[in-house]
Amino acid sequence: MWRDSLLVAGKDLRIEARSRVGLSQVAPFGVVALVLFAFALGPDRAMMAKGAPGLFWVAVLFCTVLAVQRSVSVESVDGARDGLRLSGLDPAGQFLGKAAAVAVQLVVLEVVLGVGVVLLYGARIEVPWLIIVSCVLGTVGLAATGTLYGALSAGLRMRETLLPFLFLPIAAPVLLAGTRVWQAGLAGGTESFGSPWLRLLVVFDAIYVALGIVVFGPIQESV
Amino acid sequence: MSTNHSVPAPPVQSRRSRWTTRIIGITAVVTTAFTVWLGLWVTPPDQVQGDLVRLVYIHPGVAWVALYLAFALAALASLLYLWPRTRSLFWDRLAAAAVEVGVVFNVCTLISGSIWGKPTWGVWWAWDARLTSTAVLLVLFLGYLALRRVPAEPEVRAKRSAFVALFAAVDIPIVHFSVLWWKTLHQGATVLNANLSPTIHGSMAWTLLLGFVALTLVFVWMLLVRYRIGVLEDWLGTGELDVALRERQAEGAGLDEDEAA
Amino acid sequence: MGYVQAGYSIVLGLLFLYGIQLLWRRRRLNRAVARVGAAGATAPVRNADGPGVGRPSGGR
Repeated sequence: MWRDSLLVAGKDLRIEARSRVGLSQVAPFGVVALVLFAFALGPDRAMMAKGAPGLFWVAVLFCTVLAVQRSVSVESVDGARDGLRLSGLDPAGQFLGKAAAVAVQLVVLEVVLGVGVVLLYGARIEVPWLIIVSCVLGTVGLAATGTLYGALSAGLRMRETLLPFLFLPIAAPVLLAGTRVWQAGLAGGTESFGSPWLRLLVVFDAIYVALGIVVFGPIQESV
Repeated sequence: MSTNHSVPAPPVQSRRSRWTTRIIGITAVVTTAFTVWLGLWVTPPDQVQGDLVRLVYIHPGVAWVALYLAFALAALASLLYLWPRTRSLFWDRLAAAAVEVGVVFNVCTLISGSIWGKPTWGVWWAWDARLTSTAVLLVLFLGYLALRRVPAEPEVRAKRSAFVALFAAVDIPIVHFSVLWWKTLHQGATVLNANLSPTIHGSMAWTLLLGFVALTLVFVWMLLVRYRIGVLEDWLGTGELDVALRERQAEGAGLDEDEAA
Repeated sequence: MGYVQAGYSIVLGLLFLYGIQLLWRRRRLNRAVARVGAAGATAPVRNADGPGVGRPSGGR
């Protein structure tokens, strides 16, 4: 399973490296979102700094939708999906591989967005380990659920509108928890508030990664 | 050589099931009417809330149906569909019916809760765990229904919908607890606890119970009718196709005979 | 009391409307099924082979 997952992850990441969609389209979209949020919240810097955690995570969520769409669409050409199914690769491995590829792209995006938030909103990071851990855990959760829903909507023509609608409510706990941890980790927050939310993220991740491993194969067989 | 293919028989509903549905429907209407009469006129107003308490005869009822009955049924039915040993389109159709009826009850829950909330705390909406989870559940339900509209083979659609229901079932408790933590770090009482007056007794208690029963019966009736609709829709989807194919075959055979002649 | 009446009316109204809609859908579907069933019974049936075989060039 692990070997297959590395194979699939490598394939997805190589495709990404060659086409650079993530870098040239998704990341700028994230930055644009941050700018729009700034316009929406008004010139009051204090308010922007306060809203920074939430806005960061909302931007990450939207970028996740794009990254997942991309991850699904690379296989919609030339019967690649059938090829994968027949290839004998362990479906659990495929799930982990695709999710890992998405996760890697998300991490890069988060670095970009994080820098953007610090620069644009004046957010000051006081407890770096909280920020980093929350990003790691949040990424795992988003990548896992995103990949699952991507697989579910893989064959559908209406995927572009359905996927966000289906996926975002499921991702809401990550947004909630991630925002709270960031609030704890930025200037003006209390460090101890972060821990219960980190635990929630761990539980969320565990549940959905386990679910994905079990369920990815059956999903692929039916769509 | 011509042989008669029998047309797939239209799904006939047994007399007993038709009558069961009808009786449940009638009972539902009667108990609901009774509840309304008791709730609006016979029961006394509350000491604290005055007439507003009358909403307790329908709001918890619709909430129970939407959040527990419909949702749990949809999740369970989806699980049973996915489980190979119990796989049957019956469970899929039951889940779909439960979700659709559940959406209606969910909207009723949100509206009645909102109407209760406005005069009580002055706001149409409060971001507490119960309300927020209800709203998220509504969105998840709507997503399920949107997914079902995508044309597909019944088995493919069933499997897809079942997975979505399963993920939603896993997510709702997580959302509920997240929002609970989110709120309790700030303020206290949840919506319903503050309102279900502990001194509810006598005619109020009985009416409350009747309200639950009545709305459950309404749900069951709607579920049965909606399930039947699902059966008919699915049959039509393939039945019409069969007839069209047969007619085309007949055309083709007619042409063959002409050519041979 | 206005709130209570609004609440009751909206909830019961919604349930009522949805119930009517269900009944109407069921009736419409029953009629459609009856029509298709009758058409199927009277449609000319020649081929014993599966669907799609009755093409002019023959699919045997």
